[in-house]
Amino acid sequence: MKRLLPLLFLFFFLAACADNETERSGAEKPRGAVAFDPAAADWGQLVEAARGTTVRFYMYGGFAHTNRWIDGWVAPRVSERFGITLVREPMDAPVFVNKLVTERQAGRTSGSIDLLWVNGENFKSLKEADALHGPFAQRLPNVMTWVNPEHAATDFGTPVEGYEAPFGQAQFVFEYDSARTDPPGNYRELLEWVRDNPGQFTYPQPPDFTGSAFIRQAFYAVTGGHEQYLDGFDPALFARNAPLLWAYLNELNPHLWQQGKTYPKSSAELDTLLARGEVGMGMSYHPLHAQSMILDGSYPPTIRTFLMDEGTIFNLHFTAIPFNAGNVAGAMVLADFLLSPEAQLSKFRPENWGDFPAIDLTRLAPATRAEFEAVNLGAASLSPSVLTGSAVPEVDVAYLEALERGWEEHVLRAKP
Amino acid sequence: MCSEPSLSPDCHGWRRPGRTLLPLSPLILPMGLLFLGGLALALAQSLGFWLPVSHQGELLDAYKAALAPHYLASMAFSLTIAFVSAGLSVAFGTLGAWAMWNMPPLLQRASMIYKMGLILPHMAVAFVVLILWSRTGFISAIAFHMGLVDDPGQFPAILHSGNGAGMIIAFVAKETPFAMLLALAVLARTDRRLVQVARMLGAGPVRIFVSVVLPRLTPALHTAFIILFLYTLGAFDIPFLLAESRPGMLSIEIYNLYFKRELTDRPTAMALLVVLFVFSVAFIMVYSHVASRLEDRVRKL
Repeated sequence: MKRLLPLLFLFFFLAACADNETERSGAEKPRGAVAFDPAAADWGQLVEAARGTTVRFYMYGGFAHTNRWIDGWVAPRVSERFGITLVREPMDAPVFVNKLVTERQAGRTSGSIDLLWVNGENFKSLKEADALHGPFAQRLPNVMTWVNPEHAATDFGTPVEGYEAPFGQAQFVFEYDSARTDPPGNYRELLEWVRDNPGQFTYPQPPDFTGSAFIRQAFYAVTGGHEQYLDGFDPALFARNAPLLWAYLNELNPHLWQQGKTYPKSSAELDTLLARGEVGMGMSYHPLHAQSMILDGSYPPTIRTFLMDEGTIFNLHFTAIPFNAGNVAGAMVLADFLLSPEAQLSKFRPENWGDFPAIDLTRLAPATRAEFEAVNLGAASLSPSVLTGSAVPEVDVAYLEALERGWEEHVLRAKP
Repeated sequence: MCSEPSLSPDCHGWRRPGRTLLPLSPLILPMGLLFLGGLALALAQSLGFWLPVSHQGELLDAYKAALAPHYLASMAFSLTIAFVSAGLSVAFGTLGAWAMWNMPPLLQRASMIYKMGLILPHMAVAFVVLILWSRTGFISAIAFHMGLVDDPGQFPAILHSGNGAGMIIAFVAKETPFAMLLALAVLARTDRRLVQVARMLGAGPVRIFVSVVLPRLTPALHTAFIILFLYTLGAFDIPFLLAESRPGMLSIEIYNLYFKRELTDRPTAMALLVVLFVFSVAFIMVYSHVASRLEDRVRKL
């Protein structure tokens, strides 16, 4: 309860700020042409309409390198090429989701946000509240040319349906110390590996984000693949298949770190165990995590990443346009530019940001593709083509919740 | 009575509630708003009101969920850890204070170093314990180099072994100086001649400690125990670093319920907080009652 009140105050404070903001941008209105319907225009007309306008891009502001890339690399280019002034507004996703849902309920038709950086449950909330403009993604040339439609069809199980355009990608990887062991190739071999190396493996305790992703992938792997879970949550299917996962995890349990009596509470704690050599294997939802830990000096330089044959989970992050955006044309041009091979390549370079491309590299011209492959990700990292080759999607959030609850009941509290 | 100006507080109306509350308002307002407001909000949310999502079901559902066997196990585990940690801290603190009081003045000044533990944040103590006692930690390395274990992996699992030993080590390390501080404050006011008289009458050190020193310390020790016990019961920082998964410490379970689960789990988190609060208040009342009864009996003897 001590945490609640500050949160409450913060909420009122932010609500007050948000109101001011709307009025401010309402006053300096003239952005975009007045009698122009972006839904009917073709791409050339949209680019023309976007010229000379301002796009307010609301995005999470906590990653310094991301902010630097937007301000220092994207902004000058869209200004030069499209005459668009890009204004980056740092705001946590739940805050702008809240703001937009409230504006939708209040019927406020002129908003201050043109483009959002969003995914997962925040996208789901916005889409369910009907607070997004669209569908627009299929009208962006770069989406049509470079994105694999199947790859970007869902966002944590929610159908995208053109209400957001891909921007970047994260994928789960396992980490191991190449000086000490050879990695297993699949979940069957993982079980053997864990038996042969007692105490050398563990996973963060769900509901930790990374630990939860680990059991989700194991769930795919031991129940015959992810395809069966793509059509929304099916309680009967879950009840039939989940016991296989509990059996698998309970087989692992006695051979885990500390005989499975306890689990690291967070992925950061697992990282320290791997860094100290107390376990021989780790995991992360960021493909470059191991490399940056090596560069930090936290991990020994012999740490490498690997994938399982059954595949590892990826998720995309997206850009979306609010229902009441003042500058839809400008937002679409910016969203399209962010997805251009040029922007994706720049974003991919670890010195800029190191975020994986959301475009399908096999669609690129060989020379461009070679440029992506040539980006030096460090010895610990896997190349984008290896990762994409075994990427499996996230499924409906309801599976995630059911798995986390079931894990506590059937694995954590199972009688040995 | 107050017909003429006077400096007596009665005549300035200090006793009238309005005038008393006004100067106190800087203290009462934040206290009322932050503490009682927070408590009211927790209570309301535990009953299903004022939630971000509308609550389906009955008024006391959250309390029923909070009484599930694994939360009861967490509660019992938290109580045990708190009881053992607070008990050991008070015992070590008392002995430490007694030893220090008996030292020559020069050594006494040097041993002021015990206050280090008071300055260190709980989180820092938890890290120290982690670095010293983990399987790949400092003590394990020393044991390995001394040949006590053949391999650092053979070092006994003191942390994360399922019995809370790591947390108890950290709490005792952090809390002993506090108990010592309270005990020393009482000893500083104690007349050393009492001890000299007892010695002249033939009492040994144990007898002196039990019959002369301890009775004087008891009220301070009770206070120390209540504070440490309740703090440990609700503590988050040390369990966050050192707790095991099963049984989980109650504070960690509440944190997970509130921040990492669905919005529909928040009433249960709030219900657990309310239960913790009610228990703490009841504990203070019962404990002080029992302690004062015991002291009365001692005085009568």
